[in-house]
Amino acid sequence: MTASRLDSAGSLTAETWKTLADSLRRYADRPVVERLVEVALSWTAARRVVLFVKEREGWVAAAAAGDASGGPLSLPEPVPERSLASGGVIWLPLSSEGEIHGFLGIEGVAPGEADDLGISLGSLFGAQAGAYRFSRLVKEAEFEVKTRLLELESLYDLGLSLSGQLEISSLADEVLFRSISLTDAGKGTLVLFHEDGRILSERNLGGEFLPVAQVREWKLPEGEVVVNNAAASVPTAGMKLLSCEKCLAVAISVGGRRLGVLAVADKESRDGGVLDFTNADARLLSLFANQAGAAIETARLHREAIEKERIERELELAAAIQREILPRALPVVPGLELAAANLPTRQVGGDYYDVLSLSQGRVGFLVADVSGKGVPAALLVSTVHAAVHLQVDEASSIADLVGRIDRHLRRYAATRKFLTFFFGVLEPESGKLRYVSAGHNPAILLRRSGSIERVESTGVPLGLLPDAAWREQSLQLDPGDLLALYTDGVTEAVDEADEEFGWSRLCEAVEEGRERPVRELCDAIMGKVADFAAGMPQYDDQTLLLLRRT
Amino acid sequence: MSEACKIAVERRGDVAIFWTDGYINNQGGEEIARQAYSQLDSGARALVMNLEKTRIVNSIGISILIEVLEKVMDRKGALAFCNLTPTIDKTFRIMGLAQYAAIYPTQEEALRAVAPAG
Repeated sequence: MTASRLDSAGSLTAETWKTLADSLRRYADRPVVERLVEVALSWTAARRVVLFVKEREGWVAAAAAGDASGGPLSLPEPVPERSLASGGVIWLPLSSEGEIHGFLGIEGVAPGEADDLGISLGSLFGAQAGAYRFSRLVKEAEFEVKTRLLELESLYDLGLSLSGQLEISSLADEVLFRSISLTDAGKGTLVLFHEDGRILSERNLGGEFLPVAQVREWKLPEGEVVVNNAAASVPTAGMKLLSCEKCLAVAISVGGRRLGVLAVADKESRDGGVLDFTNADARLLSLFANQAGAAIETARLHREAIEKERIERELELAAAIQREILPRALPVVPGLELAAANLPTRQVGGDYYDVLSLSQGRVGFLVADVSGKGVPAALLVSTVHAAVHLQVDEASSIADLVGRIDRHLRRYAATRKFLTFFFGVLEPESGKLRYVSAGHNPAILLRRSGSIERVESTGVPLGLLPDAAWREQSLQLDPGDLLALYTDGVTEAVDEADEEFGWSRLCEAVEEGRERPVRELCDAIMGKVADFAAGMPQYDDQTLLLLRRT
Repeated sequence: MSEACKIAVERRGDVAIFWTDGYINNQGGEEIARQAYSQLDSGARALVMNLEKTRIVNSIGISILIEVLEKVMDRKGALAFCNLTPTIDKTFRIMGLAQYAAIYPTQEEALRAVAPAG
């Protein structure tokens, strides 16, 4: 065989070239490395052929053919620079352009054929192995370039995606999954905090390795990524991690506020080992953390805006309820001057006033103030309004009416609230006034003479005690006498120094305008309260109802 | 999503359908490759990989899928992916997997595409 492969000058004969070329053509549909070992096997009639190719990480068995029952073949170390017969295997370096690209291990041929095979296969296959190896390197380089492109695209996509993502859990998944996949980490954790330090969101993939309860106290430097490639034995930023070998961690912050922590661990290698995290990984994680911080802040602001909008809607609803309930105009009653004002605050409360024309020319009037604010208070006012209008003709007395309203509230009101309630009935002709004041502020009775009397409460507020009873009182209103009912929003209006308008100022204001028509007086009193408050925000509705017997 | 990637395989004629559930990383990729080679060795001509329950793939998982693709192409077979998340879809396109393996929105479309002509 040897003589037929080489000519007298020791080069391959034309016949040998042809045979080899034919063999290569026969296996043309096989991958390059398989083709080489198949050709070598058939051409040398060996028992087994194995091909080692130089990869980035070292020599790797790329293909084998023949009988493998003898167990795996190992490339000798150090690798031979020329043909070597060792342990029943001939090792042939496959080289081109002076560089060894692969080794063929040929088992089961005579050691004396090593040189001959080396010349014939080594020179022909060297170029093929080189081409294969370089194509692999090109592929790897291409893969690297594509991976970098993927990182850039991911950063861009993440920015786009997060800018429209307002659900914290989806946002956290998006950031965590991309961080893990692009650093080739085996596991990762993203923990987000509320402003008060409570955990807002916790996402894990690949198993927990951060003691989440302690993450808030973690000494992570702001704006820097902590790379700990010895995390299994060395604490990371002062905290011992669980079941990970290497880790990469970064704080998620906005404007110096710590919003959370993003960490990945155990960078995978193709052979199943754990690689060190690189500076490129750290840079990438830092960019993800920055984007996450901005997105989380946006989501938080959005949540606050929605909450604000919800409150605004609720207040509008409460205001609408209140507007529907308060009388649009007061009845015109001979012998009586009536005027009322209601100034709702931004936080709509539960003030209610009403004037009702009753039988036999009598006039019923009331002022009520519900505890609490917003829709619940407005709904309770609505309940009281309905109860008053339903029961007023049925009740045998004012005390009976108040008792009925109290029971109605206990039975039907959706919320456990109470209200102060003044209800009076005036006979305009005689000036006889009967009333019940259920825990309401003392009314002001300004006599024509100028003297002022306090009209005190005659019982507890409605809805407060189960077996409450109210005394009905009466008084005489003579012509020129004026009764002023109000809610505590008037007397408790505050100025810049947080001083209240108070009973005395209200009495003065009533007294000062006692000669004026009650409509003007009502406006003047409300004007004085507004002047006193000087634009300071007020927290309670202000209601004023004036009656003067003429 | 579970920690380890789970693979389910069903053979329909000469088509093998793979359902993945979890992270396609080194472990997940190796498991896919092992089962893919087993299917190819037992005569499967086409592989359809349904990644509906996979939301994350890393570069090692992708390189293993490329090796599977090369093996399928060596054997003149076909490989199709379906039900990819937008992120994985884009990743496959950037990394070159979509150059030789087709991507379909649904499993039905993928199966129709790899079915023998006629």
